[in-house]
Amino acid sequence: MRKSLIITILAILLVSVFAFAVMAETTTIRYFMWDPEFKDLEQELINQFEKENPDIKVEFTALEPSNYWPKISAMASAGELPDVFNMSSGYVDQWARDGLLMNIQDKVDQLPADDYFTKVFSTMRYPDKESSDMYGIPYAWVTTVLYYNKDMFDTAGVEYPSDNWTWEDFRKATQKLTLDENEDGVPEQYGFWWYGRYAHVEPWIYANGGRILNQEKTRIAVDDKAKEAIQFLADLSNKYNVSPPKKDTVGIRQNDMFPLQQTAMWVDGSWNIAHIRNMSQGAFDWGIAKVPAGPSAEPGEYNAYGWPDSIVISKTTSNKDAAWKLVKYLIGKNRPLESYMAGKVPIYKSLANSEEWLEKDKKPQEMDIILELGENMGRTSFTIGWGEWRGYADTGGAGMNGVLDSITNGEMTVEEAITTFTKYGNEVLERYYPEQ
Amino acid sequence: MQYRKFTPWLFLIPTLLGLILFRLGPMLAAGLASFTRWSVFSPPEWIGLGNYIELFNSDVFLLILRNTIIFSLLFVPGVMAVALLLAVLVNNRLKGMTFFRGLFYLPVITSVVSIGVIWSWILSPRFGLLYQLVSKFFNVVRLPSFLGDARYALLTLIVVYIWKMAGYFMILFLAGLQNIPEIYYEAATIDGASIWQKFRHITLPLLSPTTFFILIMSLITSLKTFELTYIMTQGGPNYASSTLIFSIYVNAFKHFRMGYASAMSYILFIMVGVVTYLNFKFKDRWVNYSE
Repeated sequence: MRKSLIITILAILLVSVFAFAVMAETTTIRYFMWDPEFKDLEQELINQFEKENPDIKVEFTALEPSNYWPKISAMASAGELPDVFNMSSGYVDQWARDGLLMNIQDKVDQLPADDYFTKVFSTMRYPDKESSDMYGIPYAWVTTVLYYNKDMFDTAGVEYPSDNWTWEDFRKATQKLTLDENEDGVPEQYGFWWYGRYAHVEPWIYANGGRILNQEKTRIAVDDKAKEAIQFLADLSNKYNVSPPKKDTVGIRQNDMFPLQQTAMWVDGSWNIAHIRNMSQGAFDWGIAKVPAGPSAEPGEYNAYGWPDSIVISKTTSNKDAAWKLVKYLIGKNRPLESYMAGKVPIYKSLANSEEWLEKDKKPQEMDIILELGENMGRTSFTIGWGEWRGYADTGGAGMNGVLDSITNGEMTVEEAITTFTKYGNEVLERYYPEQ
Repeated sequence: MQYRKFTPWLFLIPTLLGLILFRLGPMLAAGLASFTRWSVFSPPEWIGLGNYIELFNSDVFLLILRNTIIFSLLFVPGVMAVALLLAVLVNNRLKGMTFFRGLFYLPVITSVVSIGVIWSWILSPRFGLLYQLVSKFFNVVRLPSFLGDARYALLTLIVVYIWKMAGYFMILFLAGLQNIPEIYYEAATIDGASIWQKFRHITLPLLSPTTFFILIMSLITSLKTFELTYIMTQGGPNYASSTLIFSIYVNAFKHFRMGYASAMSYILFIMVGVVTYLNFKFKDRWVNYSE
């Protein structure tokens, strides 16, 4: 009796020692993500990962961006960053400079480069976007495209935008597409629509080969080509009256102008494809095209504007290998396509090239244009403090955005606007990059 | 049961702890933070008066300060006048008056978000309700852009905010009006006083304690306005409708400049302090406590 009791106890001890040993080998990785909308899909992907890697457990949290950033920042200041988390292109420089992110260049080097859209990797380099090491890796990317309303083009008898459209062709099209039937000076249908938003303006600047920052990206320095692009846009508003002043569009969400058929063309991020589909419900036929190359662009060299959404590893993680394993999985071929909203492109090429991503049965028909643009990408103007000097999202009325709006309202000339936002922008940048 | 000297303090501990941890603590912390450069995710760095110097050298900040003062100067008298007018109107004993009282109070309990969104749409120069109405009767091409034009944006916010808050102060005024004994009016009527004279010489003086309370409340409300700005103009165009509290939010939670934002909130704190002090100092000159 006693003997069997001892044996039982020993057996239990033995088992628990093994169990403990197994437990000890399980590493726990905390992963924070900023898109609760896709929480369930992400969880499925993680479950799959855990099944394939039984020694790694993932603690997964998804937060709205408005909560995500304050939360992550507070965690960083407490030294409690999650091992793996999402990072935007606008913030990566600051985080890398503050030494919060792990340099993962050695890991990235081992990836088969042909499998990924490596052009957008540059955004995650710090400090130099061409040559420095990477502090994160994209899982998806977006670009900016020209949306156009095919029905309006057909009615006006204008040819659809083509790859070799010049800015002159574009402008002539906008004029034909602008309709003011009651001749009150305010068109009922505009040919185009732009305001100071980064996704409206920068595509034109880059398509003209222009820059708004100096080479080191530490000061605002608008070059002639960029100025030419801004002047071109300004003329559309003030000289040709084919784009509404910003102040006239108050009360309507900027991304509703095109789906509500207020305007025949529109340049904005490719993620709006999902929004246009939802909102227009097939009410009209539409397509996408490249933003036309500018007159000063180097022949044969086209700069598309786009940027990635990325995943980073915390510098303080104690499990770099396990964390990288998870990251590699999250950016790889197993990620379900439904976890990308239409117009967001998986970083893994064969996923993007699949029938399911191209969705030929839906509008727009020209999804492959986005993939082509992915090979022409690179130039961005993200810096530390970008949101501040650019005037981004909730602060859209401020910074460079607000000043450019004044051009569309006819309150400022291009010259005045550039002087104003250069001065203000450099005040911001001098704080973050004092040495110069 | 023996009371000792510390007995009351024992009962005060929960309140005191709450006050110290969640009010006084953060306030002092913000005071210290205002002397640092602090991006939240990296440790704060002491820069002395750097933030304050930057603030007063910044054109944007001076504009924001100006906007804040204009906002208060127009909002406070505006909302008090409208609220008093409404209160006097609904103080009449007419049939269905409760309905109107409820109606005027409705904007107060309506979510600011819905109010902001609806008003933005109403005021939209080409798509809004107001334009649709006006263009029926007059030959206008477009309305001025009340929210998109730097000249009107702040004023529009003030008007909408008065519209939203008037009901609240109306209820307070109403309570004050109903506290005024009927006998004064009866006596005045016998003496042949006009409606205006009654209002001027009975209502206003006897209402003054309420008026004083409302003055303080509306001043504080005016300095704290945030949501409408956030929803309707986002401080734009070009900071034309940015007020202190909105900029504090933007700098703290959008640009992660905690030190700078803390400095701004201390300036706001000093402003509120000074105004409240002046109010209390001068209230004896015009506030009558009848008892």
